[in-house]
Amino acid sequence: MSSRSASSRSSSSRSSSRLGRSIALHLFLTPLALIWLFPLWMMVIFSTMPDRGIFSPSIELLPHGSFLDNVNNLQRDTNFIGAIGISVSVAVTYTFLSVLLTSMAGWALARYQFFGKGVVVAIILGTITLPYAVVLIPQFIMVARDFKLANTWVALIVPPLFNSLGVLFMRQSFSMMPGDLFDAARVEGVKEWRIFLFVALPLARPMLAALAIILFLASWNNYLWPLLINSKPGAMTAPVALGTLIGLTKVSWGGIMAGAVMLTVPMLVVFVLLQRHFVAGIAAGAIK
Amino acid sequence: MAAVTLKNVVKRFGVFEIVHGANIDVEDGEFVVFVGPSGCGKSTLLRMIAGLEDISGGEIAIGGKVVNNVEPADRGIAMVFQSYALYPHMSVEQNLSFGLRMNGNPKADTERRVKRASEILRIAELMKRRPRQLSGGQRQRVAIGRAIVREPQVFLFDEPLSNLDAELRVQMRVEISRLHKELGVTMIYVTHDQTEAMTLADRIVVLNAGNIEQIGAPLDLYDDPANRFVAGFVGSPKMNFLAAQVVGNDGNATLLELANHGGARLQKPLSGAPPAVGAEVVLGVRPEHFFEAGEGDCDIAVKADVAEHLGSVSYVYANAGAAPGANAGPEELIIEREASRQRATGDHMVVSIKAGQSLLFDKSGARIR
Amino acid sequence: MRYQNATAYRFLAPYLLIFSIFWLWPIINSFLISFQATRTVPWRFAPTFNWGRLIGDPAFFNALKNTLLILVIQVPVMITLAIVMAVLLNSPLLKARGLFRFAFFAPVVVGEVAYSAVFRLMFNLDYGIINKLLNSVGLPRIDWFSNVTPAMAVIMIAVTWRWAGYNAIILLAGLQSIPQDVYEAATLDRVSKLKQFFYITLPLLKPIIVFCAVLSIIGTMQLFTEPFLITERGGPGGGTETLGLLLYRQGFRSLNFGYASAIAYTMAGLAIAISLVQLWLTREPK
Ligand SMILES: Nc1ncnc2c1ncn2[C@@H]1O[C@H](COP(=O)(O)OP(=O)(O)O)[C@@H](O)[C@H]1O
Ligand SMILES: [Mg+2]
Repeated sequence: MSSRSASSRSSSSRSSSRLGRSIALHLFLTPLALIWLFPLWMMVIFSTMPDRGIFSPSIELLPHGSFLDNVNNLQRDTNFIGAIGISVSVAVTYTFLSVLLTSMAGWALARYQFFGKGVVVAIILGTITLPYAVVLIPQFIMVARDFKLANTWVALIVPPLFNSLGVLFMRQSFSMMPGDLFDAARVEGVKEWRIFLFVALPLARPMLAALAIILFLASWNNYLWPLLINSKPGAMTAPVALGTLIGLTKVSWGGIMAGAVMLTVPMLVVFVLLQRHFVAGIAAGAIK
Repeated sequence: MAAVTLKNVVKRFGVFEIVHGANIDVEDGEFVVFVGPSGCGKSTLLRMIAGLEDISGGEIAIGGKVVNNVEPADRGIAMVFQSYALYPHMSVEQNLSFGLRMNGNPKADTERRVKRASEILRIAELMKRRPRQLSGGQRQRVAIGRAIVREPQVFLFDEPLSNLDAELRVQMRVEISRLHKELGVTMIYVTHDQTEAMTLADRIVVLNAGNIEQIGAPLDLYDDPANRFVAGFVGSPKMNFLAAQVVGNDGNATLLELANHGGARLQKPLSGAPPAVGAEVVLGVRPEHFFEAGEGDCDIAVKADVAEHLGSVSYVYANAGAAPGANAGPEELIIEREASRQRATGDHMVVSIKAGQSLLFDKSGARIR
Repeated sequence: MRYQNATAYRFLAPYLLIFSIFWLWPIINSFLISFQATRTVPWRFAPTFNWGRLIGDPAFFNALKNTLLILVIQVPVMITLAIVMAVLLNSPLLKARGLFRFAFFAPVVVGEVAYSAVFRLMFNLDYGIINKLLNSVGLPRIDWFSNVTPAMAVIMIAVTWRWAGYNAIILLAGLQSIPQDVYEAATLDRVSKLKQFFYITLPLLKPIIVFCAVLSIIGTMQLFTEPFLITERGGPGGGTETLGLLLYRQGFRSLNFGYASAIAYTMAGLAIAISLVQLWLTREPK
């Protein structure tokens, strides 16, 4: 009897200390989360306000109704819809090609023994920590001056196809699969590229999804390279087109914010829907 | 159908030599089991036969044709893997037909082969399922079915039963035996389980650390092992090894004194040259070859530690205890007794060894006949 | 595995081709260009032309100083914040985990241009929401973009906001790969939660923390868009000009490729040094 009440007392004190820690946790994390959401919230609010609303002394924290006006203002300042079209097409093409290239390379590194493998792996690891700045200038000279490809889709898509983290991610994915599976196909006389296409890739579908999302996002948001190589108005990607407006004097800031929303909100939706893949793709770079 | 011949086959991974010159002749239609402890190179050997590993030295021939540089698919072999290696994203039917489809085999023929395999293995009702919807035993059948579909000349099995529970293992063992009789093709089967080897094989190849210790029919290995390793590996429970010293030789017999049994002596007839007097040797006695006191040629006293009663027989784990001045440590002996004569633990008992049912080995483990 | 050179290189070919054309050759070429005078036609070999200029260029040292300043302050703050986020998001006591994860991880998908625009507007002197909020609680408003210190602060705040969640994702995955029974054993040994954090979590997480720090340092070292767009081309008066921005100005405004390449290789040198430090920090104990 006495031992039972003693044990129930200790368990209630344990649960009350848990409650205390839980409250402290939420008291700390909630304001931090609100601060973190604040810029995104303000982006949405600004995009629904007319310019004179944005530049007024009052504090506005709730949405207004001028989003479509702002889109029109933006379209008047620059051909944003056209730029979005370019961005979407480029990102889709880039994602497809890059997933293919990186998974082929990852497959080779994971599943074959070959002369020079160590060198290839060293190259890939080495370029992860190499600043992009080192290749930027010669890349620009080559693509713009030697290949005369400035302001084309090829210029936007092809040079960024080299992607080290993606290859490492796919190598990891393929080497975690049981090798017997591929040997079984080999014994059955299935050609190597068919093993890759019909056995390895279908099994890697979740990893491919994660990779595709990350690559799409990288292309969608890429700024510096498109800014340099596709600077002609009709050839700009959406971030570049939007960037040209920032800092101009006679420009609609409501429009800029509407553009920012159009660039951001679709990605947020994808993020919410495919959070697991997103997180897997980002985390994969570091976690072996 | 085809014979498989290995001539001086060597395998190196970098600087490590894993297989040291294997010579094996597998006859047409024979069931040969490679057995040995884990890591001894069985899988490596099998994968070289399959063409999944390069051959570092020597020659492998299948059906009289050297296949060192032949692609796996063109060697006329099929392989069943320990992990089953079923394609998880395909149905059973697709798993069975995948290889044939990928190689453009005529559709009707593919269907015929798949149907035949599914009948042989009684998996017809599973054809639409995915591997994860199958039990371990069913997966195993599908994996074997995938090999059958290839209509190979040689079946290769790499520990196919080690992921199954004990009961299923026995059941599938019988089934693989049946399959061998039905198809009559050459089968090479790798396992670390000597029971599987003994029950399945026409001939067994015993491997140890990349060397072939002995090749022979199961009961030949059991009765007449070439060395201490084979003697210890084949048979369950293991053979007992008793330290002994040669104390005398007379013509065609040698006199041994057991090191840990208070000077107990055994006169052991030999056919070959006897070891020198004073040599340290090892006497091997199988658990079932201990007899009642006085029935054999040499009585020894032991103390029972633990008894396992299996119903039909009992195994007594007995401790000999090092005798004062003995040249070896204490020996744990496993003694098989009839169930009705089981002893309680802690009992002292006297058992007897027969010279004719014991084996003699020298210090290096080689057999003295 | 068998040696299959031909097959392996067929799978690697497209990737290696892209690498050779767009990375390998540029890496070499950039080095060569840094030893050439590139504002004369044709370019001529002049080994000390750019490098000599670099060591005497106050603009370079200003950019280097700014970059290092941001590195030294922003990266540790952000990594600490990311560790806190990851640990708290991993707490079994947390309710509405999905909402919190969304709040911290959402910036990961926001593009540099979009968020630069928002931060620029939020920190506007007269109409920015930050100054309005400061005013409303009785604090004086701050002229964020006309003075170097607050302008630097805005850059650091913006970068931290954008990347803390990214690092938290990596760290959280690392936390989740620590087996739970380690903590259970520690709890049975009466090790407090705080001590568990310092003596179990942090040591086990160290390689990942170092990895995050290195990626962040290399990212921050190349900082370009934020000073380009938020503080208007590194303003006020070059007060927020970074190496990335200087490289852009020299390379693509003044078309001085040789000098820009020398700046790029300085950044590469820094990156290599930092990677070596990483290797040293995460070396396996002998
Ligand atoms: N790819 C490899 N590289 C290096 N060593 C290997 C490789 N594959 C197997 N080995 C080594 O070869 C030996 C034999 O392996 P294996 O044939 O798989 O043994 P078994 O099947 O008898 O258990 C082991 O010591 C193993 O570590
Ligand atoms: Mg094996």
